[in-house]
Amino acid sequence: MMRDTRIRRLPMALSALVALALAVLPLPVALDAFRPDFLVLVVFYWSIVSPRAGGLTLAFVSGLALDVIHGVVLGQHALALTLMAGWATHLRLRLRVFSMLSQCLTIFALLTGYQFVLFWVDGATGNPVTTFGRWLAPVIGALLWPLLAGTLSRLHER
Amino acid sequence: MVAFRNTDASGRTTGLLLRCVLYSLLALALIIVDKRYDQLGRIRRVLSIVAYPVQIAVASPFEGWDWFRESVTTRDALRADKTKLEAELRLAQFRLQRYEALEAETARLRGLRDSTVGVTDRFIIGDIMDVDLDAFRERVLVDKGAQDGVFVGQAVLDGGGVFGQVARVGQLTSEVILLSDATHAIPVQINRNGLRTIAVGTGDMGRLKLPYLPTSADVVAGDLLVTSGLGGGFPAGYPVGTVAEVKRDPAQSLAEVDVKPAAALDRSRELMFVWMKPQAASTASSMAPTATPPAATAPPHAEHAASTPAPTAPPHAEHAALTPASASTKAAARAPAAAPKPVKAPTAPAARANAQ
Repeated sequence: MMRDTRIRRLPMALSALVALALAVLPLPVALDAFRPDFLVLVVFYWSIVSPRAGGLTLAFVSGLALDVIHGVVLGQHALALTLMAGWATHLRLRLRVFSMLSQCLTIFALLTGYQFVLFWVDGATGNPVTTFGRWLAPVIGALLWPLLAGTLSRLHER
Repeated sequence: MVAFRNTDASGRTTGLLLRCVLYSLLALALIIVDKRYDQLGRIRRVLSIVAYPVQIAVASPFEGWDWFRESVTTRDALRADKTKLEAELRLAQFRLQRYEALEAETARLRGLRDSTVGVTDRFIIGDIMDVDLDAFRERVLVDKGAQDGVFVGQAVLDGGGVFGQVARVGQLTSEVILLSDATHAIPVQINRNGLRTIAVGTGDMGRLKLPYLPTSADVVAGDLLVTSGLGGGFPAGYPVGTVAEVKRDPAQSLAEVDVKPAAALDRSRELMFVWMKPQAASTASSMAPTATPPAATAPPHAEHAASTPAPTAPPHAEHAALTPASASTKAAARAPAAAPKPVKAPTAPAARANAQ
């Protein structure tokens, strides 16, 4: 069991790093609002697949990385990601037997919750972002979920 | 469909709730400490060094491509570039001819009023890194940081005019908030008549607005806006933008004025970080006389313009003062610009006259 989790940490860290790079990859301004939260999806994936390997710790650390990279108040993404990863871990047994459509809908709910926490912290710390653009990310993230989960499971179950 | 393999034999994670609550509390504590106490600057600086490799890794392919394109440019293209640059240089030199004389004259006139508000001292040039920050905030990452002496609240210019100011400083990089960010405001002056107001970002890169001008204000499309130097955050006299459109609705008390920024906010690659000459202790009193000329040229409007922001400004003005300058010692100096005190303008010269 111990060895099992240790093996799994490498793909976990690698996928998180790649997702982090995707989060800052420069895109044309027009496409920028359509960028899905790759790192969040990756964290959800690992919380669902192997929560024992430290899904919550990964969530917290990834959140901090997002805070630093986006230059927002420290702890904002960490809070949102921890809460939602906790929820995803709680739902994981059900999620594994869900059909793809139900999975996507659940992921959509989780991503919306994530955005909501961000929105709330933004407002509480005095720089609200009120554009509707930010609610687009959950939709795109949910649509992307089958692709991402498929790729990740193929990569790490080899 | 994706079949998840059940990797946990037990299927239970012990203390999930506990750990979730613990981490959330930690994150909340971080948010509060970061927001309230400004003690996390050093931690953030260290973390930004950790983030640096990722940013470099992301930016390097684009830089590599630029380098590749540059190295395979044809001779003809280079010659064309050279001709163009020479023409530009000639024009710039022509414009510069009178600059020295004008600068000396300005310094002398300012010296008469013992005001050194907003005189630039020195600058360094930084490159914008090819990294996207937040999609909904207009910020860029620049490859100059605390080790180059960059500080929070520092004015940043590009070839065309004012670009923005430093919002956050890391050890090796810094974040610059653009003029057009929805939470940014900058004290400006109309070059033609000296009318002072505040230009506020819209969140749209090609547009600023002047929300605090009354419908009767003397502003027309094509007017050049320059920094007024009030508040001490920006050097005075640098172009901010040109008025693109003025909409006057007789039913409204305030005009809608759109401004096109002078800096190439979406195209610039190189930015200048500006240091200003240390200001005299009498800055606070010498700022008021700077504010008088507009009142002389356009008394009713200027008076109105100065007093209008007070009721309407707070949401934006507060941001302008809080966001970029909160950590700097300039916070106090910025306050007058954001929550306009120029109303005092008429009284200050009188006091000076008495003193003499």
